[in-house]
Amino acid sequence: MDRSRRNFCLGAGAATVGAATLAAAPADAGAVSASGDAAHRWAMVVDVRKCVGCQACTVACIMENDVPENSFRTIVSTYEVTEQGKAGSYMLPRLCNHCEDPPCIPVCPTGATYQRRDGIVVVDNSVCVGCAYCVQACPYDARFINHETQTADKCTFCVHRVEAGLLPACVETCVGGARIFGDLKDPDSTVSKLVREQNPKVLKPEMGTQPRVFYIGLDPKMQGKVDGTPTLWRPAPHADKEHA
Amino acid sequence: MSITRRHILTSTAAGGALAAFAGGFSETGRKLVKGAWAGERPDDTISGNAPKPEFRIDPATGAVEPTPGQIVANVACLGCTTLCGVRVRVDVERNRVLRVAGNPYSPLSTDPFLPYATPIEESFRSLSRLDEKGLQGRSTACGRGNAALEMLTSPFRITTPMKRVGPRGSGRWEPIAFDKLVEEIAEGGDLFGEGPVEGLRTLRDLKTPIEHASPELGPKVNQVALLASVNDGREPFVRRFFNQALGTINFAGHGAYCGGAYRSGSGAAFGDLKAMPHAKPDLQNAEFVLFIGTAPSNAGNPFKRQAMLVAKGRTDGVLNYVVVDPVLTNADNRAAGERSNWIPIRPGTDGALVMGMMRWMFENDRIDSRYLSQPNAKAATSAGEAGWCNATHLVIRQKGHPRDGRMLRASDMGWVELDEKERYGEKDAFVVLDPAGKPVAHDVLDGPAVLFHDGAVVTPAGDVSVKTSLTLLREEAMRLELRGYADACGIPADIIAGLAREFTSHGKKAVANAHGGMMAGNGFYNAFGVVTLNTLIGNLNWKGGSIFGGGRFPDEQDGPRYKLASFPGAVKPSGTAISRPVPYEKSSEFARNNAAGKPYPAKAPWYPAAPQLTTEYLTSGLADGYPYRLKALFLWNSNPVYGIPGLRAAAEAALKDPKTLPLIVSIDPFINESSAFADYIVPDTVLYETWGWASPWGGVPTKTSTARWPVVEPRTQALPDGLHVQMETFLIALAKRLGLPGFGADAIADMDGKLHPLDRPEDWYLRGGANIAWLGKQPVADADDRDIALSGVGRVMPVLQATLKPEEWRKVAYILVRGGRYQNQAEGFEGDKAVHKFLKPLQVYNEAVGTAKSSITGRRWTGTATWMEPVFADGSPVHKHHTAEDWPFQLVSSKSMLVSAYTIAAGRLRHLHPDNPVGINAEDARRLGIETGDRIRIATPGGMQDATAIVRHGVMRGVLAVEHGFGHREYGARPHLIGGHSQPSVPEIGAGINLNDLGIADPSRAGASVWVDPIAGTAVRQGIPAKLERLAASA
Repeated sequence: MDRSRRNFCLGAGAATVGAATLAAAPADAGAVSASGDAAHRWAMVVDVRKCVGCQACTVACIMENDVPENSFRTIVSTYEVTEQGKAGSYMLPRLCNHCEDPPCIPVCPTGATYQRRDGIVVVDNSVCVGCAYCVQACPYDARFINHETQTADKCTFCVHRVEAGLLPACVETCVGGARIFGDLKDPDSTVSKLVREQNPKVLKPEMGTQPRVFYIGLDPKMQGKVDGTPTLWRPAPHADKEHA
Repeated sequence: MSITRRHILTSTAAGGALAAFAGGFSETGRKLVKGAWAGERPDDTISGNAPKPEFRIDPATGAVEPTPGQIVANVACLGCTTLCGVRVRVDVERNRVLRVAGNPYSPLSTDPFLPYATPIEESFRSLSRLDEKGLQGRSTACGRGNAALEMLTSPFRITTPMKRVGPRGSGRWEPIAFDKLVEEIAEGGDLFGEGPVEGLRTLRDLKTPIEHASPELGPKVNQVALLASVNDGREPFVRRFFNQALGTINFAGHGAYCGGAYRSGSGAAFGDLKAMPHAKPDLQNAEFVLFIGTAPSNAGNPFKRQAMLVAKGRTDGVLNYVVVDPVLTNADNRAAGERSNWIPIRPGTDGALVMGMMRWMFENDRIDSRYLSQPNAKAATSAGEAGWCNATHLVIRQKGHPRDGRMLRASDMGWVELDEKERYGEKDAFVVLDPAGKPVAHDVLDGPAVLFHDGAVVTPAGDVSVKTSLTLLREEAMRLELRGYADACGIPADIIAGLAREFTSHGKKAVANAHGGMMAGNGFYNAFGVVTLNTLIGNLNWKGGSIFGGGRFPDEQDGPRYKLASFPGAVKPSGTAISRPVPYEKSSEFARNNAAGKPYPAKAPWYPAAPQLTTEYLTSGLADGYPYRLKALFLWNSNPVYGIPGLRAAAEAALKDPKTLPLIVSIDPFINESSAFADYIVPDTVLYETWGWASPWGGVPTKTSTARWPVVEPRTQALPDGLHVQMETFLIALAKRLGLPGFGADAIADMDGKLHPLDRPEDWYLRGGANIAWLGKQPVADADDRDIALSGVGRVMPVLQATLKPEEWRKVAYILVRGGRYQNQAEGFEGDKAVHKFLKPLQVYNEAVGTAKSSITGRRWTGTATWMEPVFADGSPVHKHHTAEDWPFQLVSSKSMLVSAYTIAAGRLRHLHPDNPVGINAEDARRLGIETGDRIRIATPGGMQDATAIVRHGVMRGVLAVEHGFGHREYGARPHLIGGHSQPSVPEIGAGINLNDLGIADPSRAGASVWVDPIAGTAVRQGIPAKLERLAASA
């Protein structure tokens, strides 16, 4: 199987629609975009070394947000990776990247999709007409058309919880502690420190979207740098130290 | 394939999600053109239908503002057998659970968990953005735990008692009134127009022997049996009814088809083959862990605690680990680099690996001689050890000697004179050689004894040949060259040696651990071997080693507030349990056969080294009536037909035949593959509707008891007194009708002798809560009104106040608001050692095992860990019956991180993971022309199933990997007709295959059987011989 194959999609909308006749944009489109507090910039760091692929985040998101059946705002892609005959597991949690330069926004004909002042990219479902241009535009397959509301749907960073002083559902239930959420504008926040000190990676940096979902431990295995690992497992070099 | 080319396959979870999307595309496209509000209008323009958050916490001040109409309650999950403490968010008015996350007081969900005295309001803050507390203190529910709430409102729930109409298993039922249900089961009669059925009143005969010629079988009441599942915190109540009030000895759980082989092998090492103690790695402090046949962050128990500690340890801590298993799972994570490793192994050959490691350890002097040579607890303590073992104790090894295989004792040496009762008991010391080589009692030495000895000692009865326990183990380890072990298990010799070196390079901070992967035809010895690795490095009770766990605060004992263990008129069950967990040599059958000159074989195996075993209940027990016939079978949330490999084929006809078994009663919220054969189904409560006192299975260093209390009104039928139909109300009503002791008025005594009733579930569980409250150094504090209000416990305050004494109810409330009683985390270790220690000696040589005989062959078992290939009951290797030429593959079962045996009806899980394609190694697949998605046909000597293939590098060659939890025939997979109404039709519930439908019988046995480990009696699901053919390409 080719590793370039797209083996991940969120929601039901990926790689789907053709042209569609659009309803006219409501007059008040864009009027709501002034929400959120510019003093914050919400972001997530995912430490994939800690991910156990249990899908607690996936199901918690569904339960918290009443995501329609068979749709997902976040999911953990689980891979079997084989290098030089050695097979291993690889887990990659996926969600909306709440990009600094989100390609989903300019394509929205109604202004339903917008970025709050705190960086969270949201969809106003009373303005969305379900054209799915944003679904097509997202390089992360993070959007889909909600088959109950017929509007674009995606991760909101659980903005209703964040505004209540709580954490997003996926973060608070992350069994391995892989998902870390916080404020990039607070230099003392955990995400600020991790972004500063751990040199985390983002998905598809070449797209220039400037994601605000960062990944620690992502690069070596998933970006093609294959280390020469011997067949099967070998004792680590430190194994020769004295028997206590 | 180029060696640098990398293959990335979507594994099962993501693959499942993809498959589920496919159906939605055209629908989306079609409706797209309709524009805004083609669909339903959600509650909020941004957050859709997300309910209001459970509370608000001001991120600046920390002020807590509860959300009116919602409560956040701390209870237990039942999505799997870990029974984690969870916090459940309830919409009170709608009587609906909205969401589930972790209870921050519970070590099963949180690390570090909150100090027990933390007020509820502070616990809310600990989960919030305030000072980023919620990141450090996050308390989680897993994917399954998040979805389990669906079971509460499942359309497949049974809510009223039902009686079958038509033949057993036909899927047709009529509701029956609760009183009538109780009457029919108590009194019997011609209940189905098929002839008379004995009721419990007749069956409760405590005097008449089942068989006059075999009085050891016990009284007729033993013809009533109860099969349970896991102790969900309510088992003591069920035991009170069946063991103590009714009086039957037959009560078995699910261990024999869960991880029983591991527990039995561990029991051999821990010296208790009935309670089967076991330890777990201290994952918080271990430097190296070798997981064999267990997948710490994929499944296993305690799932979440192990997962969070492994994730933390391999990333921020000192943990390195290797998982040895035929199947690669989420226990591995490549992003963690060399911290995490997977080694494939042939099924059922773990014993070869570990004996090979031991050989290398003996040859390279990498055993912990200081630990092993201490002959008693006192010497071990002076040597700075945290425990001791019997490595130096002498074992009689002399052919023909009457005590061959027994431990040499002080009385054998003529040092003490004891009467027959006490001889060879606790007062009769073992014998060791002091450093000068002189025999002495094991308990007199202050320092080490001789570790290796093979020679004679002089006794009053003459010279006797003896060896130390460790000498016997070394002989077993040296039986094969490393290469021989490598050939057996498929792991190269240098890797075996490397593992042994790594394992012995961390002092006490290395651990070997096993679990469900031990369920092979030699699982007992494989597990005994894994645990013996730990013995050889003396890691028990050490920080970073293997720890016994803190245990629990027991509710069902006598005191300190109420006597829940004893009551006047309680029966002490007697006789032989159906599964024969006693020596065959003590039976009348043996005496008769022996007198006839043919003592062996017994008609079917006996299991003196095992607890009661469900694996023998429905085969030899039910189908063959051995050692006696069952007349009534109760299934309490038990599903052996789904869970035991080969059982359906062996027992379905017997289960369907009322003449073979006149009465089957199931107490269960759902119709499962076993209760489908019941005559009556009594609906039980689900998850958070129920009282109970649960506890962790292991792996928690501190004392832990998890509370279950009803946070929603049960959805089962309401009874006139305001109670609901459920296990407890059914058994109470049944006991009262039969006039059984221990139930009804004056059934429970307090410590002053004052009597209290057992009329409602609360009468039992709240008094159990009072016992828990008063245990420990001092009783728990009183709950304050703020705690009670914020935790939702206000809901049950009236019944607390009505049931408990004035000084008790706030203390029990204190436990309920925190979802249990939890010893503080800091109290788990004292310096380098665990506070809660296993103090008895570990058994390098287990005398009970080494002197037990197979009831089939009459041959003795080996008393130490050893490598034995998988066998049938007569000791014949499996491949002699089912050759590799005929059956080139081996089936193994693996646990799912999302689906458990009874959660298939939870749609949210099913959509994420709808199917269990069978894993096949890439090389095998290439040879057979099989590609991912192809339909394949798997056949074993026990059955045939068609499945979908998934081609993987992460499966050992020659292995077919089947994930557990699919291939259901019930739980909604077929709609039943209840009172003329059909259940919904959801055929997706039947997706995939169940490995257990491919399980096999034991061809060396006459009569009905399933293949079990010959010593542990545990079901075999790892290494079932199989063959494979490709049917068709993917659709």
